[in-house]
Amino acid sequence: MGMDIREKLSDLIENAAVLVLYLDRNGNILFCNKKTEDVIGLNRADILGRNWLEILFKYTNNIMIKEMFKAVMDDSTSYKRTKDFQCHILGANGITRLISWNITPIFNKNTQTTEASALFGHDITETEERETSKKNIEDSLKNIFSSIKEYSLYVINLDGNITYFGMGSETMFGWSKRDIIFKHVNILHDIDETPSNLPFILEQARLFGKYETETELVTKNKEIIPVNLTVNQFLDPNGKLIGYIFIAKDITERKKLEYQIFQTEKLVALGQLSAGMAHEINNPLFVISGRLQMLKNEKLSQKVKDNLALIDSQTDRIRKLVDRILKFSRKSTPNLEPIDVNEAIEQVLPLVNYNKLPAAKIEIEKTFAKNMPPVKGDLHQLQEVFLNILINAYQSMPNGGIIKIITSNFKNLYAQIQIVDTGVGIPAHNLKDIFMPFFSTKNDGTGLGLSICHNIIKNHNGSIELESQVNNGTTFTIKLPFI
Amino acid sequence: MLYKILIVDDESPVRELFEDLFKKEDCQVVGCASGEEALVHIKKDTFDVVLLDIKLPGMSGLEVLKNIRDTHKNLPVVMITGFGYDEDLIAKSKQFGCSGYIGKNMPVAQIIVTFKQFVKNAKEKGCL
Repeated sequence: MGMDIREKLSDLIENAAVLVLYLDRNGNILFCNKKTEDVIGLNRADILGRNWLEILFKYTNNIMIKEMFKAVMDDSTSYKRTKDFQCHILGANGITRLISWNITPIFNKNTQTTEASALFGHDITETEERETSKKNIEDSLKNIFSSIKEYSLYVINLDGNITYFGMGSETMFGWSKRDIIFKHVNILHDIDETPSNLPFILEQARLFGKYETETELVTKNKEIIPVNLTVNQFLDPNGKLIGYIFIAKDITERKKLEYQIFQTEKLVALGQLSAGMAHEINNPLFVISGRLQMLKNEKLSQKVKDNLALIDSQTDRIRKLVDRILKFSRKSTPNLEPIDVNEAIEQVLPLVNYNKLPAAKIEIEKTFAKNMPPVKGDLHQLQEVFLNILINAYQSMPNGGIIKIITSNFKNLYAQIQIVDTGVGIPAHNLKDIFMPFFSTKNDGTGLGLSICHNIIKNHNGSIELESQVNNGTTFTIKLPFI
Repeated sequence: MLYKILIVDDESPVRELFEDLFKKEDCQVVGCASGEEALVHIKKDTFDVVLLDIKLPGMSGLEVLKNIRDTHKNLPVVMITGFGYDEDLIAKSKQFGCSGYIGKNMPVAQIIVTFKQFVKNAKEKGCL
């Protein structure tokens, strides 16, 4: 029976999944099991009788381990205890392995000395690697999350209070975690007096598990951000609903782009519509004005002639308008040639006077860049743009003022032309429509001048922008790429 | 008589206006409403100049022009265009050998002057 147990124990030790070594007082190995052979990569014959420090740590001179072993084996202290430590050893095939060790002193009660020690080693290399890579992933996730600027992630509990405010939330909303935690989430969703759509969103998320929508959120500074908002249910491990997870993506840039595309499409559609109309009007108008011209040569009473003259002048007005619309909707690509911007402007200046302009005293100050490379453009079209803007500038200064024309070379990339007036300016609410066809603030304007300018500059791959302040004047900035 | 003109325009008020205008300028005028008719007229009659609408139902103005050029290399053809700014169509007409174009967006007096100038140029150059 006793033999049986001894055999079983021996069998158990031999096949244990841990390294088992039996050391004498001096640390020489008296016994080791199979796992030890496997991990160290040596046969038992090469292990037994040798010092454990030499076998396991031949390439490390680990003082800490030596001291620890001394302490375990020290007879002068009666208080003996097991020591645990972790260290790397050089294993089979030259691969370093991490072992978690346990040294247990074996005390001989008869001699009152520590005569030997048992060494148990647990190979934790793989576990440790897993832990390390997990930590690395966590670190990089943290890094990734903090790098994502246009996303925000926050969580609320069932009362609607914010319980987590992470990943870009501080950047997006301007709130610090400390200030917003446990505040009601309405703080991000309430825009002025408009009723929040939050209850609806939460209801949808509750019913369907997830809800996605485009909406607007509000920052600490009451700025409104358009977002794509995804709300997911937040469940505890038992599947019980404990809150909602919000992921908001800032879509300001996309919205801007969409608005621009929308505006461009609107312009194109309007262009087509007006061109179609202009064509239809053209023929009857041509017949009317032609017949009028013929009537003029007839012998008629003065009264009839006066009326005919009036009809003629009004018809002419329609003709010019139709002409303008056709010009606006033309799709012709510009006839590109190298153009000296400064010269093109110089040539236009005398033309400004031919247009019916207020008699007020207006000075023109020119600041032209020297050695300006030519731009690629259609001279007539570009001059039409300059003329249009200059006439607008004149008209905005009924009491006189200064028009500054500044040309500059931007890094040899494009020519910048600025036309600055000191006129009445444009109210902010009109600025967004200023390039729209048929938008005019003048009593007799067609509203096509600036939309034609816009089209022309766009066809030249350039840009046209304006800044304006009521009573301070308007600045047009045109950029045209060099050849 | 200054010129014998063939006027091709599908819209009768427009055609009649041209007819009346050029009659006043001492021209003899024949009007027709389609390209097909125009080609028949040109085949059996002699004209000094053709005034041809660029946009016609059926055979287009450009096709009529091409057909005329196949048989009458030196006959001046002036295009009428409602598209005051359609440079593409005008460019194509030039390519097919038109002598010039007048736009319905021009004032009437200018149309007459421009038309006469084109015909004069064409005649001087021996048309093309």
